[in-house]
Amino acid sequence: MIVFLQSVLSGLLVGGVYALIGIGLTLIFGVMRVTNFAHGELLMLGMYLAWLAFTGLHLDPFLSIVLVAPAMFLWGAFLQKSFVNRVLGALPQNQILLTIGLGLIMSNTVMLIFTSDYRILTTTYSSSSYKLAGLSISQPLLYAFLITVAITGALYWFLLKTDTGQAIRATAQDRDAAQLMGINVRRMSVLAFGIGSALAGTAGALISPTYYIFPQVGSTFTLKAFVIVVLGGMGSVVGATLGGIIIGVAESLSAVYIASGLKELVTFVLFLALLLFKPAGLLGKTRA
Amino acid sequence: MRTRLQVPLPSRAPRGFSVVGLLVFVAVVAALAIFPQFVKKPYVLHMGVLLFLAVIQGQAWNVVGGYAGQYSVGHAAYFGVGAYVTMMLLEVNKIAPWWGVWAAMAAAVLLSLVIGSITFRLRGPYFVLASISVAEIIRLATLYFKDFTRGAEGFLLGEIPTMNLFGEEILFIGKRPFYFVGLGLAVVAVAVNWVVQHSKLGYYFQAIREDQDAAHSLGINLSFYKNVALSISAAFTALAGGFYAMFVKFIDPNTVFGLDVSVQIVLLCIIGGIGTIVGPVIGAVVLVPLSEILRNPKGLVQVGVLSADSGFVTFVERYLSNAHLLVYGILVVLVILFAPEGVLGVIRRAAARWGRRPQDVPPTAAAKA
Repeated sequence: MIVFLQSVLSGLLVGGVYALIGIGLTLIFGVMRVTNFAHGELLMLGMYLAWLAFTGLHLDPFLSIVLVAPAMFLWGAFLQKSFVNRVLGALPQNQILLTIGLGLIMSNTVMLIFTSDYRILTTTYSSSSYKLAGLSISQPLLYAFLITVAITGALYWFLLKTDTGQAIRATAQDRDAAQLMGINVRRMSVLAFGIGSALAGTAGALISPTYYIFPQVGSTFTLKAFVIVVLGGMGSVVGATLGGIIIGVAESLSAVYIASGLKELVTFVLFLALLLFKPAGLLGKTRA
Repeated sequence: MRTRLQVPLPSRAPRGFSVVGLLVFVAVVAALAIFPQFVKKPYVLHMGVLLFLAVIQGQAWNVVGGYAGQYSVGHAAYFGVGAYVTMMLLEVNKIAPWWGVWAAMAAAVLLSLVIGSITFRLRGPYFVLASISVAEIIRLATLYFKDFTRGAEGFLLGEIPTMNLFGEEILFIGKRPFYFVGLGLAVVAVAVNWVVQHSKLGYYFQAIREDQDAAHSLGINLSFYKNVALSISAAFTALAGGFYAMFVKFIDPNTVFGLDVSVQIVLLCIIGGIGTIVGPVIGAVVLVPLSEILRNPKGLVQVGVLSADSGFVTFVERYLSNAHLLVYGILVVLVILFAPEGVLGVIRRAAARWGRRPQDVPPTAAAKA
């Protein structure tokens, strides 16, 4: 029983970060109907920025998000304005290929600058943990989770309560109608890509104390992000939050009860099954 | 008169048999066949083999991606199965690769039928994601089931047995034999693509690409023909995989089943121009030398293009050799933004402009003058 609770708990903590990655992706898809295959690379950039801030400025990775998030927002907005915006009306295949290309450019440029060596960001608390009723809670994962909850809460407030947030949601719901209502949909697209990129970068910074940092780390997360988002229903922010938690717990449980080498395989099998039997996702309504 | 089912012609309707095209093709193949008589540098032949390999992969993907319009980003699954089956039959069961590769192709076709029946129900981004995840599942399984596949350790090829072809003994040592085998297989791949393009099958595929629903309403069995396209594609991708395993002599799950392999195959076709025979060839000709020079600039020294102390070599080796996929990234972004029909489209447009110029002068203007 204690093993079960322990793996659910660690899955939950990781799932929080997964949710952040998924929300970014789903926001981009919702507003622009573009499937962003460079999402993992944005996360990878966030990891490297956090690593740079840590080695260069001796800034704690959890504090560095105040720098990483705005930088990644600007980068995402730039990518949207100069590349993604040009293919909004193109075939979905071409959009996918464009973002794959952008991802390759990002990961290979990082490789040029930092080589493909694995980097490790070791903080004083990297391997410490709290003990609670027989369960051990990894400190860096707990901090990451708490920050994730705070950010997700703030994002929900932003999307639900502010004018800009409502405009973003309106654009996601019906681009043409939103435009007719006087919403600047182009600006909302830039904003959504910026926010999505900032969220991915933040997630990267949050996991930088617990993961290896290397240029190709992104592709795993791109795939994982898609599994999360499709699980919750493409375009649904609540769905992505839920999907992140579910995938985190599922991975953790299959690592303990099946085999740690198979945890990702189990995720993909679940994903395929989901695509076949409930393609709209758990909370989605349409198949876009 | 019995009316036959008419399939709408796609926008780029293939022309019939062209004598000029065939002559050009034969001339190019002949030139490539006598090429090693004059150039014996291993690096050049090595590049040639990689080029042929890319042509086979590109032509194979082109059948399902280019003609049938199903953008599979999971072709590493078939490539890897081809490589593993050929390699394991040779290393474990001592079966010569020219027999083993048939088993590899059969295995890939079976796999494609399973994958096809799962993924072809999906469209657009969902199909792409499903194709990626199937390939990833196979990669992770190969890594995990070590007893059978040796996991991350991979397979190192001992030696390829001597081939006895019409009484002539062929030793697979050095680059030369691989150059000729590669050329032969590439010719077969191109020929198969030509046949597909000019057969009824090809028209069905292209109808599916242009408009699935319209094709369906005209009585084309979508899942059947998509599966046919995928099986042809899988068989040749597996052939490329088997050839790769024998040429490189080492395979492990990440190099043959990795997402990079699938992405490279797709980008090769996209950059060259999809849905045509020449497109993937152009893609290979553009990309293979570029990324190979970045990966191993020392080869240029060996060939004599550059001197050993050239700053270019040290610069590339130091900074660019790990990032040879950068070329793919930059080119695909440029192609998608500025030339969605690929390099071939650019060449065609330029040729059309250049060829049309004399007639561009309106006859009335000429008459007035």
